[in-house]
Amino acid sequence: MSEKKKNTGYLSGKEIRAIAKENAKVMKRLEAYKYRKAEESEFLSEMRDPDNILEIDDLHTYFFTEQGVVKAVNGVSFDVPRNATVGVVGESGCGKSVTSMSVMRLLQGPQGQIYSGAIRFQSKDYKRDEKGKPIGTETEDKVYDIAKMPIREIYRIRGKQIAMIFQEPMTSLNPVFTIGQQLDEVTLIHTPDATKEMAKARSIEMLNLVGIAMPERVYNAFPHELSGGMRQRVMISMALAANPRLIIADEPTTALDVTIQAQILDLLRDLKTKIDGSIMLITHDLGIIAEMADYVVVMYAGRVIEKGTVDEIFHDPRHPYTIGLQKSKPTLDSGDEALFNIPGNVPNPINMPDHCYFKERCDRACEKCSGAYPEMIQVSPTHYVSCWLYEEGNENG
Amino acid sequence: MAEEKIVAPVYDDEAEQAKFLEERRRQIEEDMKKPFDPEAILEVRHLRKAFPLKKTLTGKVTQELIAVDDVSFKLMPGETLGIVGESGCGKTTMGRAILKLHQPSGGQIIFNGEDITAYKSPQMREIRKQMQIIFQDPYSSLPPRSTVGGILSEPVEVHNIVPKDQVKAYVLDLMDKCGLRDYYYERYPHEFSGGQRQRICIARALSVNPKLVICDEPVSALDVSIQAQIINLLKDLQRSLNLTYIFISHDLSVVKFISDKIGIMYLGSMVEFGNKKEIFENPLHPYTQALFSAIPYPDPDVKMNRIVLNGDIPSPANPPKGCRFHTRCPHAKEICKHVVPTYKEYEDGHFAACHLLEEE
Repeated sequence: MSEKKKNTGYLSGKEIRAIAKENAKVMKRLEAYKYRKAEESEFLSEMRDPDNILEIDDLHTYFFTEQGVVKAVNGVSFDVPRNATVGVVGESGCGKSVTSMSVMRLLQGPQGQIYSGAIRFQSKDYKRDEKGKPIGTETEDKVYDIAKMPIREIYRIRGKQIAMIFQEPMTSLNPVFTIGQQLDEVTLIHTPDATKEMAKARSIEMLNLVGIAMPERVYNAFPHELSGGMRQRVMISMALAANPRLIIADEPTTALDVTIQAQILDLLRDLKTKIDGSIMLITHDLGIIAEMADYVVVMYAGRVIEKGTVDEIFHDPRHPYTIGLQKSKPTLDSGDEALFNIPGNVPNPINMPDHCYFKERCDRACEKCSGAYPEMIQVSPTHYVSCWLYEEGNENG
Repeated sequence: MAEEKIVAPVYDDEAEQAKFLEERRRQIEEDMKKPFDPEAILEVRHLRKAFPLKKTLTGKVTQELIAVDDVSFKLMPGETLGIVGESGCGKTTMGRAILKLHQPSGGQIIFNGEDITAYKSPQMREIRKQMQIIFQDPYSSLPPRSTVGGILSEPVEVHNIVPKDQVKAYVLDLMDKCGLRDYYYERYPHEFSGGQRQRICIARALSVNPKLVICDEPVSALDVSIQAQIINLLKDLQRSLNLTYIFISHDLSVVKFISDKIGIMYLGSMVEFGNKKEIFENPLHPYTQALFSAIPYPDPDVKMNRIVLNGDIPSPANPPKGCRFHTRCPHAKEICKHVVPTYKEYEDGHFAACHLLEEE
């Protein structure tokens, strides 16, 4: 292969066929694993720390495309503690949404697959018989490894114990059903022996909880009759209807206006105290993270580059990317001098370099950065950074 | 589903209402006859743009959506005017009406001492050399089947900016100014990332040496680290080419960074206008105050004193009577429900439209 061809990124037909053949093999294996039948014991696991509700451990999620394998999530590890908000921040394409989709097992198959890693979730579920039917209303604590669960068992968790609020309230509601029908469904599916009356009462209660003034009227309305802010409230009430232990909010306010965003953020903060659960908040806006989160995970090109408490990330950022990101956003009191900017672009996701992904854009890159990808280095009990600058004995750090 | 509020008619007495409207119309006509400011590059007076929603069989408009209602401002050469507002407030329509991409329904646009409101397309072609626009979405505003060189040389050739044999050299020089490498000349838009495409859009807008550039949300579709690159580029170009910008955005912190003057729009009308410093230190209109307090601040220790507005933005097709903001205003009074507040100068160059200010 000539140098020129490699630079342009074009592939010949032969190469594309070779990639497709290789991909088909892997995809078939992973799809079979996803749809297999399995005993519960196969996907039971143990938490590393019983105070966590979710532990993501070295997660790899790949997309098998015709151009090659896109490692959208490439070794991500972080924990979501009980009753805490964890903010995941990064630019578009850094894998933050794919991480949440992996937790929910909503990846588009057969291209999108969890390749390896563990997602351990502290579940509190009804006792179930061998066929998976709940026996009574007693609950039991179990730890499931979501990455190993066959897709047919996922209903125990998805929508019931982990709920998701999507970015686009305009497209995430079904336009041909009323809000009431869509809300009732959650209760009818996830509560054993639920009647329609119970479901309706629960739905109205939820609509009230999220601050909708006339819940009866909204209950009978179709999604197109509501404004963007109202739809996002409905989405939130739908997520809450089954009493989830973890809510994943994927850019919940990006599609909304500033004044409506303020309303929704207020609501989410209120709810966290009311529902006694954890929130995983995915956003690209550092302002929202600073306001809402207790812990912050910074992602870049499919990897976690820094994680810590909100104070550590905002007052003592270590990774050059985190520092650059904070400096490049104009705030209301920044002066007239030119904005700090990080030069260049995110590297091509198909041919990731072997060294640190940020090296080409980094202003503090040193010799060691051309070597292996840096390990996570602990700088305080809760603060980790993946950068050679902070390696023990390095004077520059 | 916005809550329906019953709004009383503007005046109980119809004759009185007619008198009020007549008075207003007379005032606007008088304003329009005033001489143009010779120093200003752009003067907009009582600009209005309405889109017909319903027509009768004979073509008479029975219902219209007033996207821009009575907007006036003045802009000096080399200045940047930032326009802020939420979606549907008419900021983009205003930008397009100034370029005459939409024919205004009323008011005057005076560009460089010329009243261009009634100009037809042959005359506008000459004017468009001096005013250009950068669109929001760099993914859909570049033709996919032309090369970067083709995209950039077309306006140069159409407007005869340089002799034909110098076009390529001129375009390459332009690309260099906008931070594009010279070997991009032969490439197609799909090969570029969002930030690079936005640079191509900027280069295209600047290829005809304009004096005024309207930037319609140029950085909203870009990531934070790329946003900073584009904002810095726009600032550098302004300094070296002495450009005047109208910078439309919903992101207040970006607007604050780039602008000299700021206009805040709500449901089609300008609620506040003034120098950046005054607007930020002393916001007069309650909407401006709420907007400033709503922005999340990237520091966990700063606890904002947030003014949370209730309800949604009313539909522009059926705006509330009286002051358009009264349905969400925390300080609304009886008069706000009935009478449209006048847009007045409260401090030197600081305009606002609010009844509360008039009382003081």
